Amino acid sequence: MANLSVRLCGVTLKNPVIAASGTFGFGREFHELYDIGTLGGVSTKGLTLEERLGNPVPRIAESRGVILNAVGLQNPGVEHFIRNDLEWLKSTGTAVIANVAGKTLDDYETICSKLDGLVDMIELNISCPNVKSGGMAFGIQPQSVEQVTARAKKGLKKTPLIVKLSPNVESIATNAKAAENGGADCISLINTLTGMAIDIERRKPIIANNTGGVSGAGVKPVAVRMTYEASQAVKIPVIGMGGITCAEDAIEFLMAGATAVQVGTANFSDPYAMPKIIDGLNAWCDRHNIKNVSELTGTLELHQR
Amino acid sequence: MKDYVATILQNEKIAENVYAITFETEEPVPVRAGQFGDIAVGGTHLLRRPIAICKAEENRITFCYQVKGEGTQKLQAMRVGEKTNVLMPLGNGFYVEDGEKKVALVGGGVGVFPLISVLRAYKATKEISAYIGYRNKAAVCGVEEFAKATNFVAVTDDGSYGEKKNAVQAFEAALQAGYRPDVVLACGPTPMLRALKTVTDREGLNCFVSLEERMGCGIGACLVCVCDKTNGKKARVCKDGPVFNANEVQL
Repeated sequence: MANLSVRLCGVTLKNPVIAASGTFGFGREFHELYDIGTLGGVSTKGLTLEERLGNPVPRIAESRGVILNAVGLQNPGVEHFIRNDLEWLKSTGTAVIANVAGKTLDDYETICSKLDGLVDMIELNISCPNVKSGGMAFGIQPQSVEQVTARAKKGLKKTPLIVKLSPNVESIATNAKAAENGGADCISLINTLTGMAIDIERRKPIIANNTGGVSGAGVKPVAVRMTYEASQAVKIPVIGMGGITCAEDAIEFLMAGATAVQVGTANFSDPYAMPKIIDGLNAWCDRHNIKNVSELTGTLELHQR
Repeated sequence: MKDYVATILQNEKIAENVYAITFETEEPVPVRAGQFGDIAVGGTHLLRRPIAICKAEENRITFCYQVKGEGTQKLQAMRVGEKTNVLMPLGNGFYVEDGEKKVALVGGGVGVFPLISVLRAYKATKEISAYIGYRNKAAVCGVEEFAKATNFVAVTDDGSYGEKKNAVQAFEAALQAGYRPDVVLACGPTPMLRALKTVTDREGLNCFVSLEERMGCGIGACLVCVCDKTNGKKARVCKDGPVFNANEVQL
């Protein structure tokens, strides 16, 4: 039995496997299948100050090896989450990461202050590609990444802040650094890549929003590369994600520099994907005589060129 | 709800482009009429295929599906003896109250299959009349099941089997002849459901519809497959549905 626990900005996770925002709701549905208290953490469905109804349907499409989604931040609002879901989610024993989005800088500060001290970590969604006011505008330019991070941080006295980075940018390293400069305690990446899938019989995009965020196994090499580049650029810890389907995938991200990983789309292919990844991590560590999974972080050795 | 390892016992064509696949699971699956399963087709398809359960006999579960895209093509190519994962039973399903004795089933296209599960569940205790519409004779299927209903009217769009009508017109004709069900259960294309709702509203009939939408997780977590409720809220087709009171949702 390897020690799978990891420390992430002062918070101890049972293991480095976190449910990715938007694929896991607030955890209740998956808890009908298995004890989600066994997970390292759960990043909640993206929360906004007010309830949002999201985009029209269809909200999902498939392409080989990936999916596209444009849910559009449908959520009941942060107050509703605090009143109805937070205590339950904490009671499962998993680390609670509140994923938050806003329209304005003020929104980010306000929503962070509402959650400060109530959750284990806050993950700033500045990279949702599917809504005009989902923060994507803040996630592109390094200056605005730094600015929104600093404003969110103003709302926080106790809870560490993760900034979730968009891959749809010029330089992931520059934006990672910008988040760090803005006061982020951690960064997570990648959010989805903006894409399109077309129904050729109707000559229309499959998704009602026309474009959607691409995720799933096919994006993994891009995500691993970006996790590597971002982790090289900053001193704060990194949470890697993008196409993780099995323990071996997760290990790639750890070696690339991640302290923990998030799993999203794989939960749709196999609802038990995360418990299997946790078991697989343990088995891999045992086979390789690794006592602590945290030893793997950043151990990638590049070819000398 | 459980992710069953399911072995294919049968995977056969039952009408033009429509197949019935029967799985055997290690243990019996407790299924209510109108529920569905999420079937893994594997390979580069990351999403499972949500398909209505047509027949559930202990640990033998039958789904009927139309081959439409690559995912259902892969399902069709699966051979007897192969195993895959099926997450089931999912969704709320149809429920007929004790006091509702006369049940009308109105279905069209692949929407006929969830109604077969209703017929199987309630035929012993209810008086069931089925009004089923098909595109043409080649698309006709499930007749041996529907024949077990108290009344069964099959119609086609082109008149090549039964009268040239759609399912809603066939149901309306029965109403005009004096039939009055206690509840109407329906599944089919949205325009059909919309036309039916006009009729059931006019006649003051209680109507439940089973909806379809592109799904992500299939269990209510991802909020991909929502529909609009008449109260301005959203409902999840996979978890709050797929069966809704026709007055609660916007069709």
